[in-house]
Amino acid sequence: MSLDLDLADFVVERGVDEKVDYVEARLHLTVKNEAILKNGFPELSAVIKAYGIGIRVIVKGALAFGSTNNLERREVKELLKRLIKQATNSRPLFKKPVSFSREKVEVAKWCVEEKRPIEEATGEWLMDKLKELDKAIVERGRNVKDRFLTMNSSLEEKYFVTSEGAKILSRVPRLEFYGVITAYSNGKISQRSVQYGGAGGIESYERIGIYEKTCKEAEVTSKIVEKAKPSPQGSMDLIVGPEVAGIMAHESVGHPQEADRILGREAAQAGESYLNPNDLGVKIGSDQTFVSDDPTIPYSFGFYLFDDEGVKAGRRRLIYGGKISEFLHNRQTASFFNVKSNAAARASEFDKEPIIRMANTYVEPGDYGVEELFKDVKEGVYVKSFMEWNIDDKRLNQRYVGHEAYLVKNGEVKEMILNPVIEITTPKLWSSLDARADDLDFVAATCGKGDPMQGVPVWMGGPHLRFRNVKIGRR
Amino acid sequence: MIDFVIKKLNSLNLEDFVVLFFKNRDRMIRFTNNSITVTKDKTGSALFIYMAKERKRIAGATYDLRKGEIASFISSLYKSMMASSETEYAHLPRGPFRYVHNGDIDTKIGEEDLTPYVSRAIYSALENGAKRVAGSLSAFITNIEIFTSGGAEGRDIRTGIELNVRAFTSKESSGHGIAVSTRLSSFNPEEAGRLAGMYSKMAKNPKTVREGRYRVLLSSTVAANIFEHVGISTSAFMVEAGLSFFKDKIGEKVAVSNLTLIDHGQIQGGLDSRSFDDEGLPTKSNKLIDSGILLTYIHNSTTAKKFKTESTANAGIIEPHPWNLEVKSGDMDDDEMIRELKSGIIVTNNWYTRFQSYRTGEFSTIPRDAAFLVENGEVKASIHGFRLSDSIPRLLNSISGIGKKRRWIKWWEVETPTLSPQIIVDGMTVTKAL
Repeated sequence: MSLDLDLADFVVERGVDEKVDYVEARLHLTVKNEAILKNGFPELSAVIKAYGIGIRVIVKGALAFGSTNNLERREVKELLKRLIKQATNSRPLFKKPVSFSREKVEVAKWCVEEKRPIEEATGEWLMDKLKELDKAIVERGRNVKDRFLTMNSSLEEKYFVTSEGAKILSRVPRLEFYGVITAYSNGKISQRSVQYGGAGGIESYERIGIYEKTCKEAEVTSKIVEKAKPSPQGSMDLIVGPEVAGIMAHESVGHPQEADRILGREAAQAGESYLNPNDLGVKIGSDQTFVSDDPTIPYSFGFYLFDDEGVKAGRRRLIYGGKISEFLHNRQTASFFNVKSNAAARASEFDKEPIIRMANTYVEPGDYGVEELFKDVKEGVYVKSFMEWNIDDKRLNQRYVGHEAYLVKNGEVKEMILNPVIEITTPKLWSSLDARADDLDFVAATCGKGDPMQGVPVWMGGPHLRFRNVKIGRR
Repeated sequence: MIDFVIKKLNSLNLEDFVVLFFKNRDRMIRFTNNSITVTKDKTGSALFIYMAKERKRIAGATYDLRKGEIASFISSLYKSMMASSETEYAHLPRGPFRYVHNGDIDTKIGEEDLTPYVSRAIYSALENGAKRVAGSLSAFITNIEIFTSGGAEGRDIRTGIELNVRAFTSKESSGHGIAVSTRLSSFNPEEAGRLAGMYSKMAKNPKTVREGRYRVLLSSTVAANIFEHVGISTSAFMVEAGLSFFKDKIGEKVAVSNLTLIDHGQIQGGLDSRSFDDEGLPTKSNKLIDSGILLTYIHNSTTAKKFKTESTANAGIIEPHPWNLEVKSGDMDDDEMIRELKSGIIVTNNWYTRFQSYRTGEFSTIPRDAAFLVENGEVKASIHGFRLSDSIPRLLNSISGIGKKRRWIKWWEVETPTLSPQIIVDGMTVTKAL
């Protein structure tokens, strides 16, 4: 597949001719192959291919975005004309003119290494893997009756060009598994959904460990309906595994530190933030709280080297030693804050505008061994994975309901418990963090934001974490 | 182009095929802090193809309609299908069919200048007490064509305009309003702005609330979010996958006896109305829950075959889905509902509904924007910082009041257009972190 690079260049040249303040064009191709296996029976497979151009212009401080998949030059030229007119007409209702931070103009070509190209992950290959997983689930999870399994391989290619001279070509292959299994025993039902994914060729299946992880989930979910006892309630110590650490980092650190939310741009949809623009440096967690977001983790689900505004990506330290240390920026919010963009702008498809997104958000590992974390816990719970979760639209009031969870007594992991509920505020959560283990693991997720809604691939993770004196409830 | 696609598909000696061609124009204005932040303009076409042969089948969608690419897409789809596993499926419905459009469109929506509507919504919210206003206004016009090997052939055109507006008097105090319509003449941005502004004013100085069980009045917006999950759970595909609390419940009482839920392929004001489903069957209205009894799952041909019944014309080739949901109105007016609540909570908006298990329907959701504590049938205080935790089967059987007035709801948290009244639910669990 080759992108029509000349077309994007043409758009930008035309925009410059029209004397707009800024114009960018993004040719964006996404191809996805998907297989579905339900209770051991193949459903039809699917192929989705989206290819088109997304254009942004700024005219006298007014921003307009447009897209089309009709790639005739005449049509694209017409779209550009409409956008310029649209921006001009709406200018009186832009109370604050849009401006972008000044950034290094990048010319680059980047891709994710594939040992075996993702194109080899055909529908039949994907279905074979699902059958392999389904067989293992049935063997390892004797109470698991319902199995809904999907796997997709995808390829994302982009060519980004701006009136400032940026030209960036990229290719990202990905593999993703999503499954929901349901176990039944003695009138009890337990359901588990999992999502694993990463960037890379079809070797990602082994690299991510999809088979091993899925087998483990089948065993655990099967065991929950047989063995889990009611969860204790009250204030106690809490140890969470990397999956729970990851969702906590994503929801209560990553989202509220998106600068567009802080400025109110997502107010009517994904919400705002409990943080204010001048909250950098505010202490929100214990000295043990270190949270980062890093798009450049090799083979990660949220991997990229340059964002969709052409800015070079790197690690963002969101909370450092308990203090808010950095917000996630695109060029517009960076301009408002008078800082450089940290390359958080992403668009999910050609017909979506780039907005601020997380990539791979995680609690940084500490120096405790995992076993060490448990040693001086007299009474507490260990929540290894979760199902139900939510958080308010300022990212302050959150809840995570455990799936695989255990009682901890006198430093030892005891019996399995059913659905312990962690319901806590963001400052209380991170102030209670007292130790981080030296392990680090991630799960994949699709993060939703924007209007129209954009789902983008992310990783979230962390090490095992220990929190002191946290309120635990039960469903 | 469609003739070319059909010719190409005919040459492959397929047992079944569907061609759907979509042509859209979508425009949007987003605004924040009383100011536009971006205008958007999307034009696009998409080709959807389904093919089946020798117990194998595949679906494909492409936006890459360049010359040469379509032929190559079809060839590659065919190759992938022939290499795929055999599946259980039903042949497509046999036509020809007659499609009747309910006439509910307004093509002026395609070209109308949207900025005055944004100004009207913002002004109305400010006039009713808001200090700052955010939201999005979008308008669409969609043309759809279908051709199937079963002899179905038809065209449809649909239009819609949607406004989601949120007003603030402070960071803690906000209100929400929605206006959705298939026609400009019945689109009312002022009313959405008025509601948002009024609620933002009423929501000032919110207090916390004690945890416990409450009688809760859910606004049409919140009720629509719940009923959307109910509608989706009637999908036979979801039932089979273990993702529905309605498994083995056909013919059983699943809700209070005055609850009736209908899915409409076409209905006046329904933004997702269609004359035909994705297999070419003329759409229709299906009573899903009638006076509390679950009457049917929704089906495409394949799920219908598995459940030994007829399709309800809700295809989705892969999975059936509701088109436009309607909850029948009850007998209580708005004031009466608050009086009847006696002591309880009013929730005007919610988000982030998530399930511990789709199979059992255990979920929690977070109220946002204005919420109120009611004592002795009167609003006593604005409240915030809590969560509703319940299970949908319990909730459906604990509805003690259904409003007369209904509103069309579609926004970020409700994707399926839903015409819903307010409802009162007894014994909802309130929890909190604050």
